[in-house]
Amino acid sequence: MLIWVCALHCEAKPVIDFYRLKKSHEDNAFDLYRGDNMACIISGIGKLASAAASAWIAGRYEDAASIAWINLGIAGAATCELGSIFALNQVIDADSGQRYYPAPGADSTLPGCACLTLGQPSEDYREHQLYDMEASGFMYSTLRFSSAELTQSIKIVSDNQQHKTGQDRPRISALIHRHIELIDQQASGLVVLNQEIAALEISPESWQKLTAMAHFSQTQKSRLRVLWRYLMNRDLNSEQLLRELATCASSKAIIGALEQLSYEESESL
Amino acid sequence: MVSRVYIEAEIRDHPRAQQLLKRLHKLPVVEIEHFGEVFNPRAQNFRLQKKDPAIIIAAKNQGHVLAAPEGYGLGGDKNYYFSHMLNCIYDCRYCFLQGMYQSAHQLLFVNYEDFGAQIKQIATRHQQQQVWFYSGYDCDSLANEPMTGFTEYFIPLVASIDNAWLELRTKSTQIRSMLKLQPVSRVVTAFSFSDHFSHSRLEHGVPTIARRIDAMRRLIDAGWAVGLRFDPVVYHQHYQDAFVKLLNDIFSEIDAQKLHSVSLGSFRLTRDHFRKVTRLYPEEPLFAQNLELNNGIISYPLEREREMIEFCEAQLMKHIPRQSYHPCEWHG
Repeated sequence: MLIWVCALHCEAKPVIDFYRLKKSHEDNAFDLYRGDNMACIISGIGKLASAAASAWIAGRYEDAASIAWINLGIAGAATCELGSIFALNQVIDADSGQRYYPAPGADSTLPGCACLTLGQPSEDYREHQLYDMEASGFMYSTLRFSSAELTQSIKIVSDNQQHKTGQDRPRISALIHRHIELIDQQASGLVVLNQEIAALEISPESWQKLTAMAHFSQTQKSRLRVLWRYLMNRDLNSEQLLRELATCASSKAIIGALEQLSYEESESL
Repeated sequence: MVSRVYIEAEIRDHPRAQQLLKRLHKLPVVEIEHFGEVFNPRAQNFRLQKKDPAIIIAAKNQGHVLAAPEGYGLGGDKNYYFSHMLNCIYDCRYCFLQGMYQSAHQLLFVNYEDFGAQIKQIATRHQQQQVWFYSGYDCDSLANEPMTGFTEYFIPLVASIDNAWLELRTKSTQIRSMLKLQPVSRVVTAFSFSDHFSHSRLEHGVPTIARRIDAMRRLIDAGWAVGLRFDPVVYHQHYQDAFVKLLNDIFSEIDAQKLHSVSLGSFRLTRDHFRKVTRLYPEEPLFAQNLELNNGIISYPLEREREMIEFCEAQLMKHIPRQSYHPCEWHG
């Protein structure tokens, strides 16, 4: 599952159009667009809004095996050209001083940059740093649900000391749209990493069926989870295995049978 | 592939930091205040990081040299360890470093002089005794040698302290810098080996056994003391044949009489490390084998372990003099 978090609709529009996401009419806390294993949420301006939207959507997708995140939006800079694109490698919250380190992959083609997240708009730009109003809230929230390797923030410069895009929303969309292929490339890399992590998780259906077969204590469930994760990652047929386990008379017997199978499977490393 | 460099702002001008930055000039550099900001947060995925780790250049401010755990050592009077690096460039599935830190980034400490001062201080404190300093507990001592210049600083330092001994533990073949130095009899380079099958399945990114044997031979030829570490020995269906082949390959190239020391131990992890690694690599057969908890350590059932160690020891004794053998005692 990949979730885009944008402050404004005009920032999200290039993504919504590119991936043909559809507006969800079931939700009214935030504007939400959905697609195949992807969603885009419009948080509103500011770090609190970004944190709230990220937490809200994480709750909506609590069953997802793993979530990858991209915060996409505009930023100010001292001297960078309008339309320059960056993958943030350091986010500093101007109020608290808290620093976060999103980790774009080694294959990222976007240049990295640090970003200072402000509570209020400012034009007091410093060299070698971007300015935005959401990234620290986004990081604060998403790092509770995913790791830094699955969390990215991509910023496009909309304002500098000479030029201001300001409230020109079509212009903002156009600045972002110019880079949509690069943004898609970045997202694809992230999706691959996320799939690797998601594939390690047990499917909720098979886990439910397994744990319904007997009464398991918490300690037994921990052991069961380790065994089941291993065996499911060995490409065994879960349905067939569940049928075979149905002959076991107790939770202890089920664990014993799975342990035996694990030992046999792992003898040859 | 290394993805980026983090560097503590305070040590940016340190000559070793400058040298590292020069070497890593193609990578993006992110300035940080303290390495803990990047190395310690919980929201990191070790498995993903290991694919593209970053290099963190930092200074260590305390605990440069620590007492070695009970049972660790080669019979010296006092045993200490130190780590100029945390984490390893290799990715061995049995290694406790996978569960040791939140991060898979390679943390390089550049303030060698502070490590050196403590080594001197400890050696002076135990002046009448043989004091061993082990490197390679939290990293591979030589793997990053072209970047770190570790041997260039620490070997002459140990050579200058009469009662100090140094063990460099490695799976690397980076011996070029050592070959440029005068051999020091109190410095032992200990090469770790697993059999060919375990190597191919579990030691990702580690140089081949043949290349490591070659590196050992070149060090011995140059007059350096070299050790062998068969730790951990990993169980698999054909471990006996594989271990015999490994010994034959080593001792067809290496004169056993010239070895400083040989040690042997079976696969084991603390319960906490084991929990972490099984969460990171749930599909790994090594962790799905028949293992037991014994005094907080997860390892093979005692009978299997005894059988493995007895077999391997017996094979080893066909090649080496008994006095150079140091079993890894961890049962307490």
